[in-house]
Amino acid sequence: MTNLHLVNRSLPEVAEVLVVGAGASGSVAVLELAKNGVGVVCLEQGDWTPASEFAGDKPEWELVKQKQWHPNPNVRQNPADYPINTTESDVNPLMFNAVGGSTILYAAHWCRFLPSDFQVKTMDGVADDWPFTYEDLVPYYEEMDRVMGTSGLGDDPAYPAGEGFPLPPLPIGKAGLKAATGMNKLGWHWWPGPNAIASKKYGDRPQCLRYGACLTGCPAGAKASTDLTHWPEALEAGAQLVTGARVREITVDENGLANGAIYIDRDGVEHHQKAGIVILAGNGVGTARLLLLSKSEKFPNGLANSTDLVGRRLMMHPYAAVVGTYEDELESWLGPAGQLLQSMEFYETDKSRGFVRGAKWNLMPSGGPLGMRSGYGGRPVEESFGVNFHRNVKQVLGRSFEWGIIAEDLPDNSNRVILDPDLKDSDGIPAPKLEYKSSENTSKLIDFNVARAIEAHEAAGATSISSTTLMRDCGWHLLGTAKMGNDPADSVVDQWGRAHDVPNLFIIDGSVFPTSSGVNPTATIMANALRSARHLAQNIATQVTSA
Amino acid sequence: MLTDKQRMIYAEMADFLIPDAEGMPSASQAEVPTKWIDQALHFRPDLEVGLLRAIEAGTDADPAAAIEDLNANDMEAFDALGVITSGAYFLNPIVKELIGYPGQVPMPGTDDVDSYIEMLSDVVDRGPVYRPTIH
Repeated sequence: MTNLHLVNRSLPEVAEVLVVGAGASGSVAVLELAKNGVGVVCLEQGDWTPASEFAGDKPEWELVKQKQWHPNPNVRQNPADYPINTTESDVNPLMFNAVGGSTILYAAHWCRFLPSDFQVKTMDGVADDWPFTYEDLVPYYEEMDRVMGTSGLGDDPAYPAGEGFPLPPLPIGKAGLKAATGMNKLGWHWWPGPNAIASKKYGDRPQCLRYGACLTGCPAGAKASTDLTHWPEALEAGAQLVTGARVREITVDENGLANGAIYIDRDGVEHHQKAGIVILAGNGVGTARLLLLSKSEKFPNGLANSTDLVGRRLMMHPYAAVVGTYEDELESWLGPAGQLLQSMEFYETDKSRGFVRGAKWNLMPSGGPLGMRSGYGGRPVEESFGVNFHRNVKQVLGRSFEWGIIAEDLPDNSNRVILDPDLKDSDGIPAPKLEYKSSENTSKLIDFNVARAIEAHEAAGATSISSTTLMRDCGWHLLGTAKMGNDPADSVVDQWGRAHDVPNLFIIDGSVFPTSSGVNPTATIMANALRSARHLAQNIATQVTSA
Repeated sequence: MLTDKQRMIYAEMADFLIPDAEGMPSASQAEVPTKWIDQALHFRPDLEVGLLRAIEAGTDADPAAAIEDLNANDMEAFDALGVITSGAYFLNPIVKELIGYPGQVPMPGTDDVDSYIEMLSDVVDRGPVYRPTIH
């Protein structure tokens, strides 16, 4: 990767606000604060990723997406990655450390939570309610749509009426039409998929070129990643960014207030960036890890962790995939990947199914001939090689697509991020370990949805169907480990992300989610971060600070 | 970089995995052992160790039997052999043309809402599928 670490030599001795993490939520906070004249420094352990480095427009794409551009940091092992012990986890966490964070590699499905996602306890008697409603977040969803340049079609009956998308939907193509035909036969909901990908030129961002390589970085620059959508303006507004800065501890003063962060630069030198206010934006694994690393006399169980909830309630959206193969040539390698369609038919709770909550389906293109699977080891050789090597390509290439199923993950205190007693990252900092078991509710939910997705493919005319009920490499959405709530005895932060234990410490990434919903969370992560950051900016003069 | 002897052994194993069949060239006919494997290894140096182990297993052995044995007893080497050989094969533009795959080329799309907007009326007519906020 390009080494573009830029150390701003004029960093303030004490930053007015320090943000840890330059990903989705951190970018939002930095821009909002900087635009409002707040002095903000951001520490990011990764680097900038120029579009020229992405392989999606190169012949080697399918080879390198299985290693150098794999979403699992344990597979990728880039310098900015840290190892994660997943030996006791059903799901591998996926993330990317960089300016732009995981938006560099995300699929850019742009889905709001539904109203019921904010009232799971009230409506379904499980988990918790959020401390605010869908309606409270709508203005921030709408603003993020405009900032990110999202593409979609309004008036989806899966959502309350409201402002449409700034851009029309991306083409659904022959694959989308084929799938939609099946869904209409069954009388099931479907809609063109909303994506944070430009269907037409939007500001400086070009139109999507349908490489279908969204998950390995967009070589066209059409996908909305926050290194493009937020950082140029944030830097212009005076924000200061230090890349290659791996934070190992949030420090506190004698009053128990956060007063900065100790980080290690790429030369191995430690620095202490002091700050009056600290904001964490490191995702559900990174933020929990950092809080647990930040033990002190006042916080022997980790920073802001008097409830012992930090790290707990980890939710990662178990994912199942049902692939149908068709006789027709569908050019199903064409992007966006991204999603062509989405279905919310089985999203809301129907207790007659034997489980609560539900799943969002997304229709995904099939990629190229090499596919995401490895060498097919463990199965009979002749199944995938020999004559069948050619027959499989002929049958599947361009003639298949996937209904992906995102299952809502209910919070469970025993699913958690802890510090590994032995494993360390390249800077000698204890690595996180995940203890995560998929629940019986999740298993029933997935089984039900897989069966329906098979029916959907059959209705559309599939000639063969295969399913993967729980993909290990599906932990894209890292949520829940610093729960938001009104009761300090039962939550880590309040509705504005302020830590109950530490009034000048804020957390604004997906760690704060009380529930996970069954949709991709980035739209909600960023809308929530905007709400929290704007509230802070508007009240900055009255904040408790350590300085 | 593979030696000439390694390429000869690898060619036999690669042709077992990807034969001349179904109107498609074998791995050797598609210049995998002589050209594309080098490019593939350049992109995926992490697979070289496994590939070399696979070639070692194929030395002085029947390629089919050696591959079966790898599948049973050395999954890492089998996977490396399979991925790098398949990946190298698909790097060849002639292969891509034969399978009808354009590769990673820009294909800007046009708005196709007109092709499905009437189908969506069925969806809309069924009404909302969400539960509103309880106030």
